Amino acid sequence: MKFSEKLKGTAQDVNLNRNIGNFSFWLHRLTGIGLSIYLVMHIFVLSSAIGGPESFDKRMGQVQNPFFAVLEVLLIAGVFLHMLNGLRITITDFFAWSRGHKTLFWIITVIFIAVMILTLVLQWPKFFMENYTGGGN
Amino acid sequence: MPQKAASQSLVPWLLQRITGLFLAFFLVTHLNVHHLFHDITVEGIISFALVQERLTASFWWQVYYFLFVPMVVYHALNGIWEIIADFRVSTGWSFLFKAMFWILGIVLIVVAAITLSNLF
Repeated sequence: MKFSEKLKGTAQDVNLNRNIGNFSFWLHRLTGIGLSIYLVMHIFVLSSAIGGPESFDKRMGQVQNPFFAVLEVLLIAGVFLHMLNGLRITITDFFAWSRGHKTLFWIITVIFIAVMILTLVLQWPKFFMENYTGGGN
Repeated sequence: MPQKAASQSLVPWLLQRITGLFLAFFLVTHLNVHHLFHDITVEGIISFALVQERLTASFWWQVYYFLFVPMVVYHALNGIWEIIADFRVSTGWSFLFKAMFWILGIVLIVVAAITLSNLF
């Protein structure tokens, strides 16, 4: 079977099984792929520290502005979606609690919303360019 | 004819769960210190000096990153591999992906280790 056909089959499977379990399964995979790509970029950007303080500060200066602060909110959303859903999967598996997996989904949704509200409050100063004038310590 | 199992072994599956549980702790700490509770109005933008100051505040940060980096790299690459394996790729592709992920994983850990040694 060709890879494109397998992907098509996956899409049909998602379309036929519109439920919380399938939704969170794909959310987990997509956030996982996104976070893995971010991890590689994160290590790459920070590796500028190998070149010393000047090269690190130059590189970090390029990724610290309101645009990246908004992207950082998306990153944190991805981390917590993946983390909370991962804990949900682990609890469901290790404690044989598959009957409660939907309840757990709504519990993690509430926790996720609370975390994201806190994230927005904490990130707020980073959304404004005037706060980036300080050169650090 | 029975189809080949998507995942060959219990060990990677279990390791994914174990590293996942550790990462829940490591990531909340890492995000709090370096992303969320970084108050730009007080500390200014992130600089080499600021990161060095944070990381040398306690010896335990060395232990922390020594465990955190390999775990997060393993979890990420094994996770991607699990997704690929679910599509039941051929033996040749499977070997190619595994080789690629092993090389990428080792490179990422080595680069991260050299980076951190410059900051500690």
